[in-house]
Amino acid sequence: MSTVPRKGIKAAEPLVPEPATIIDVIKEGPNIRSFRLIFDDPGITTAFSFAPGQIGLMGIPGVGESTFAISSPPSQRDYIQFSVMKTGFVTSAIHELAAGDAVAVRAPLGCGFPVDSWKGKNILIVGGGIGMAPLRSLLMHILDRRKEFGSLRVFYGARTPADLCFAGDRVQWENRDDIEFIATVDEKHPGWSGHTGLVPQVIAAQPPAPENAVAVTCGPPVMIKYTLAALQQLGFTEAQIYTTLERKMKCGIGLCGRCNIGAKYVCIDGPVFSLDELKNRMVDGRW
Amino acid sequence: MRFIAEENIPRLLGRLAANAAVWAPQVVKDTVNTVLFAPWRAGGEIETGAYSALSAKELVLPATERLFSYRYRRAGEGERIGIKGCAPQERVVIFGMRACDAKALAVLDALFLSRSAGSYNDPYYQGRRSGLTVITLACTSCDSACFCSSFEKGAAETAGSDLIFYPVSGGYLAGPVSEKGKELAAVDLFQDSSQEKPGLAKTAKVELVGIQQRLLERFDDIDFWRLATEVCLSCGYCSYACPACHCFNIFDETDGDRAGGRYRCWDACMFYAYTLESSGHNPRPEAAHRYRNRLAHKFSYFPLNRGEILCTGCGRCIRGCPAGLDFRDVIRAVSAG
Repeated sequence: MSTVPRKGIKAAEPLVPEPATIIDVIKEGPNIRSFRLIFDDPGITTAFSFAPGQIGLMGIPGVGESTFAISSPPSQRDYIQFSVMKTGFVTSAIHELAAGDAVAVRAPLGCGFPVDSWKGKNILIVGGGIGMAPLRSLLMHILDRRKEFGSLRVFYGARTPADLCFAGDRVQWENRDDIEFIATVDEKHPGWSGHTGLVPQVIAAQPPAPENAVAVTCGPPVMIKYTLAALQQLGFTEAQIYTTLERKMKCGIGLCGRCNIGAKYVCIDGPVFSLDELKNRMVDGRW
Repeated sequence: MRFIAEENIPRLLGRLAANAAVWAPQVVKDTVNTVLFAPWRAGGEIETGAYSALSAKELVLPATERLFSYRYRRAGEGERIGIKGCAPQERVVIFGMRACDAKALAVLDALFLSRSAGSYNDPYYQGRRSGLTVITLACTSCDSACFCSSFEKGAAETAGSDLIFYPVSGGYLAGPVSEKGKELAAVDLFQDSSQEKPGLAKTAKVELVGIQQRLLERFDDIDFWRLATEVCLSCGYCSYACPACHCFNIFDETDGDRAGGRYRCWDACMFYAYTLESSGHNPRPEAAHRYRNRLAHKFSYFPLNRGEILCTGCGRCIRGCPAGLDFRDVIRAVSAG
């Protein structure tokens, strides 16, 4: 088993969400906000456990619910965080919410990153835009257990400096000496002294070695496509590369039908897949 | 075998109606006299000769069903959400289901009642399914759209049924399949019989050996799928009429006063919006993309994941397609390579 499944919090009634309350809203960028929430039933907050990469559905009863990656790490016991890009009907309504407002949540769902199988390996994390959300959870989880892994290098790209999320975290990551954190924006920008260029180009300029390494990528489809190509060019095998996918989902539990890629369902078999699994002939390209 | 006389059928249904809702195929008096499964009341006419336009899957998967109710309530400065789940517990006896539709229940059980790792049990489906008793009417004839003989047991399929009625002179032979069926056939309206079972329908056949793999091999041939779906309107009829199609959408309804419910309703994989993402991206933008996924789901993915073909040969998608698309032709073309 390459990925880590956990049962949803309400296995007996998996389509019924748990009431929760937003305790903090963080403006990450022009159209991205992070929502920190606690369950109204304190027992659920206490018992809540998940693996980085797992997802949840957050919604507003009367409006609807959408699927998001959990962007806080498992060690964060005070709240769980979803980072939401304002895109459609439900996410626009969620963006109107403030601390103290009520939401309803179904989480955790899906399979997370098989972090335990990466012990002793060098970790490469490649994120783009809002795709950094599940990778933030993963990165902070690895930092919690830093000694168990080899080198840790993170590439994070966005269109403009304002589109780079998690400003507070980034300062910490950049200042640690046990992590090499490289942020890049697509083009030169006034006041930006960091890297410029698309993520795959920046990777190619500072090539990571594939030996004893694992690469994890999440971001816009076009970034993933060229990042995978760049990594494979560097000698990363399909089994060494993990990505986390997104599809339109309704049920989150493998019943409603639409999120399949071949015989796999992004909601229960994913959203984390190794490239190896995706290249399997039951999955590859079978949108 | 047990035997029940034709004139005892209303008595049997009348007795069953004391403890359960009884559904039976009936002519709906509209312009085309459609036959549908509907609640039966004493004295009501039952139509056993024709095929029902829809399968009665609504008994386990209603076209729209409430998942839970919610109400916002004041809590200090703000509001909290109260959520109340729904647990359907209905007792229904369905009379006159065909073997193909009953088999579809067994196929759906493999998904919604699965106990395998990584699967979720569906409490709504389970609540309805456990209270359902299926009296199947075996087919001694068929039409040109029927193709259940393509499957192992054909018209003799027993999966999903509790009791099977075989039409014979003056009444029906009754063959129990489950404990529920045995109990039913034990009552005094039945008597023992040594009559021979009638010959069952032999339908048109579609060769399905190897189709699981052949579909995947054909998957990337988008021109093939474009040609196959040239006439397709993406109207979704085939999904709604299919006894095994089960994909659903979820939506919220509010009464406008901080209360309402979340519902699920039938969806159809041929709809453009089925996979349309809020970004505007659609992984299956053309009918060709949707149709190859539809057939692969039925004949490749579901058999791989759940061990059942998601089709039982009822022929409704062929009989009712407004564009005349006969998917058996597509399956034959895929098999022919």
